[in-house]
Amino acid sequence: MEYLLHILILIGIYVILASSLNLIAGYAGLLSIAHAAFFGVGAYVAVLMGLHWETPFLVNLAAAVVFCGILGGVVGAPGLRIRDDYFVIATFAFQVIAFSVLNNWVSLTGGPMGLPGIPQPVIFGWTVSSHWEFLVLTGGCCAAVLWICHKIVTSPFGRMLKAIREDEVFAQAAGKNVAACKVLVFAIGAAMAAVAGVMYAHYISFIDPTSFTVMESIFIISIVIIGGAGSMWGPVLGAVVLVALPEVLRFVGLPSAVAANVRQILYGGALVAMMMWRPQGLLGEYAFRKGEAQQ
Amino acid sequence: MFSQLLVNALIAASIYLVVAAGISLAYSVTRFFHFAHAAVIACGAYSVFVLHVWVGLPLSISALIAAPLGGAVGLALELLIYRPLRRKAAGPLVLLLASIGAYVVLQNVMSLAFGDASRSIRPTSVQEGLPFLGARITCVQLISIAVALALLIILLTAFVRTRWGKMARAVMSDPELASVSGINVDGVILWVSFVASMLAATGGILQSLDVDMTPTMGMTALLAGVVAAVVGGIGRLPGVVLGAIFLALAQHLSTWIISTQWQDAIAFAILLAFLIFRPEGFMGKKVRETTV
Repeated sequence: MEYLLHILILIGIYVILASSLNLIAGYAGLLSIAHAAFFGVGAYVAVLMGLHWETPFLVNLAAAVVFCGILGGVVGAPGLRIRDDYFVIATFAFQVIAFSVLNNWVSLTGGPMGLPGIPQPVIFGWTVSSHWEFLVLTGGCCAAVLWICHKIVTSPFGRMLKAIREDEVFAQAAGKNVAACKVLVFAIGAAMAAVAGVMYAHYISFIDPTSFTVMESIFIISIVIIGGAGSMWGPVLGAVVLVALPEVLRFVGLPSAVAANVRQILYGGALVAMMMWRPQGLLGEYAFRKGEAQQ
Repeated sequence: MFSQLLVNALIAASIYLVVAAGISLAYSVTRFFHFAHAAVIACGAYSVFVLHVWVGLPLSISALIAAPLGGAVGLALELLIYRPLRRKAAGPLVLLLASIGAYVVLQNVMSLAFGDASRSIRPTSVQEGLPFLGARITCVQLISIAVALALLIILLTAFVRTRWGKMARAVMSDPELASVSGINVDGVILWVSFVASMLAATGGILQSLDVDMTPTMGMTALLAGVVAAVVGGIGRLPGVVLGAIFLALAQHLSTWIISTQWQDAIAFAILLAFLIFRPEGFMGKKVRETTV
């Protein structure tokens, strides 16, 4: 039972990550492989505040969200000048720098040793300790994030994002402030990733930089793309499939060291297969074919 | 101390140069970032490991076989993944995503086959370096510098002098026009992929001779190569030389001020600065804006 709850909590965390990245990559068309960096920075901000200043959980959560939101805006800003594959490389560069800071700034982050002994979150006197309680907390956050995503994509702002994705020059010509939209959506997505980071850190009660690597970023973007970029439920389906299915490997009896590699081979292969035969993903509408309508 | 830093920078630059030349070549012909290059780099190193340690061939012969093997991996990726995608008119982002998927698969296959721990093809006896301008340089390091220089000269002459080089340059500047003029664009892409992957594999072999190998070694090497290629200007071989030397100097001279583990961060800070302020690099042409 605990095992099942564990999987559900992980799915919840990845639904938050994938849905927030979907706003950036699926709706605004800004393909980013830096999402694990925001996931990690959010986790570290909240945990460091909790450990050093012993501030309440909700204050830490809010601080992590604000911090990552601002950071996201700063990282999204280069997207105004560089686009498409150069932008991917730029986000990649940010991901590597962020990992490098988490890993090497030993006096603050503990470096490769990580930060153990993260206290259980207390929300207005409710101590979240059991798996059930964590599932309720993660589920609540997940629902809140999905609700906000829904509000965003059905709003005029959401339509503007799609317009930018389909034809940036046209959106600009129609008098839309393309630059502000790009920075804003990046900030919102990064802030949501921070929520996932805070949940993850308090649930596992230990963090180290290896949870927030380039491979993790690739995993999150794979969830979005396999599930379906640019649709509300695509990333949710993707998270369920990519987090839950590899657990089946456990029951086949593969040793855990081999299973980790096989899991990655499966989603890497799935990514290639999707690009070949169904670039819009299982449920998606956007197939990363920017600029082709014009040719 | 200073001369030793310079020598270390020179060795690093020679490896970056080989990898960056491959990336630059591949990008300017295919117009997408070939992420799976990172896997090809590691493939080169592990091919030498298999041939030298498991089969027992001499190191030099293993390296000579391993480089074209790496090229063959690049060919296979082109034929199995990129060409069919291009036939479906896939854009650069789709190709990039597919190549990220291919990287994940290849890297994990290598992890399964060889384990995540580092493997070595270096001779067991430690050689004392030769004195060189007040610094020390080992025989292997001298060879890697020589190989890099030789490859660069061959590439440059092939590009300027041969028919193949001319066709590749035509495809780089305008694929459609090249195709109309009777050049087989698919064919050019095919053999450029082979050459680029061979360069990547060679870079991996040179690096593994210096600091051993792991299945993820290609990632760091690819990153350095991308930085050198972008800084120098994509598609400009002489620029790539400048880029590789600039990056290596920046990384190694900065170790005077801050510790070595920040080298990755420095490389990427340079890349970000260039992407934002001078995306065409030292020697490249202006990046074309979106045409409507």
